[in-house]
Amino acid sequence: MAIDHTMPVLIVDDYKTMLRIIRNLLKQIGFEDVDEAADGSEALGKMRDKRYGLVISDWNMEPMTGIELLREVRADDKLNRTPFIMVTAESKTENVIAAKKAGVNNYIVKPFNAQTLKAKIDAVFGE
Amino acid sequence: MPAKRVDRALTEPFDRVRAYVDAKSASEASFSDVVSLAEITADSMQAFFASIDRSIYRELRDIADYITRMRDEIAALRAGELKSGKIATAGEHLGAIVTATEQATNTIMECAEAMMNAEGEDEATFKALVNEKVMEIFEACSFQDLTGQRIARVIETLENIEQRVGRFAAAVKTDGDDQAGPETDREKRARELLLHGPQDAKVAIAQDDIDALMRG
Repeated sequence: MAIDHTMPVLIVDDYKTMLRIIRNLLKQIGFEDVDEAADGSEALGKMRDKRYGLVISDWNMEPMTGIELLREVRADDKLNRTPFIMVTAESKTENVIAAKKAGVNNYIVKPFNAQTLKAKIDAVFGE
Repeated sequence: MPAKRVDRALTEPFDRVRAYVDAKSASEASFSDVVSLAEITADSMQAFFASIDRSIYRELRDIADYITRMRDEIAALRAGELKSGKIATAGEHLGAIVTATEQATNTIMECAEAMMNAEGEDEATFKALVNEKVMEIFEACSFQDLTGQRIARVIETLENIEQRVGRFAAAVKTDGDDQAGPETDREKRARELLLHGPQDAKVAIAQDDIDALMRG
């Protein structure tokens, strides 16, 4: 299945610099329709207003963390099929296991490069 | 005062009184016996109160010495200087580090974005732009020198605090200093939501291992 590069992507991170980095990397990969949110609750609000083809979220944010956002998304009948990639500095095995149990589609540990991001997006969409 | 010493101090003075009364119990007591008993009782009580006084004095002197030592150790902590001087300065250094790294990152990203967006330009214009932006990136990277110096100062402050607190802990002979205090709301949230933050390279799980966990 070819990836639809026109699909809207939501990136969630409390660091503006990281949002900018991910936005630029996504642009290099071919995604132009990119929205931003500064934490899980803002992201959840945006997801309820607009249908996103992919969510890329940090874990450690206030007030709503990435893992809480993921659990909310998976518990919501309208959102639970949205592909979700965690991009985080949380690099303990228990974090990966918890994210997998919560239904994450892929997990990237920071720092990462464009190649890793592309590979994980490809893997989520079965390419 | 140790318990055995207290017991002895309380019982010894009355032993003489008890011995005198036991000796006289079989015969009728005379006026001189009563006077003698009164003298013995007075002597015994005097010894008893003297013993108590000495014990209390020793205890109070020990407490006074301990308070003096603690006052010296608390003074050696120089908490006021730490709070208003070293810790405040360390905080300013850390704030400046965040600002400097953010500024440098933004400059570098702006340069990269300018180069990305200049693809349609003719070769000479593109080359000039790339040269200009590469120079700006080199300049922006100079933040590392300044932040490195600031970080060294913060480390120095932390070591200083560690030394002072360590000396104080040794002086007050704290037991169980490895025991954590009561969990704060923030710590509880971090524990429940697995908010560990960035890990040291030695303990951080590698991307390949994460991929294996995701496949498994």
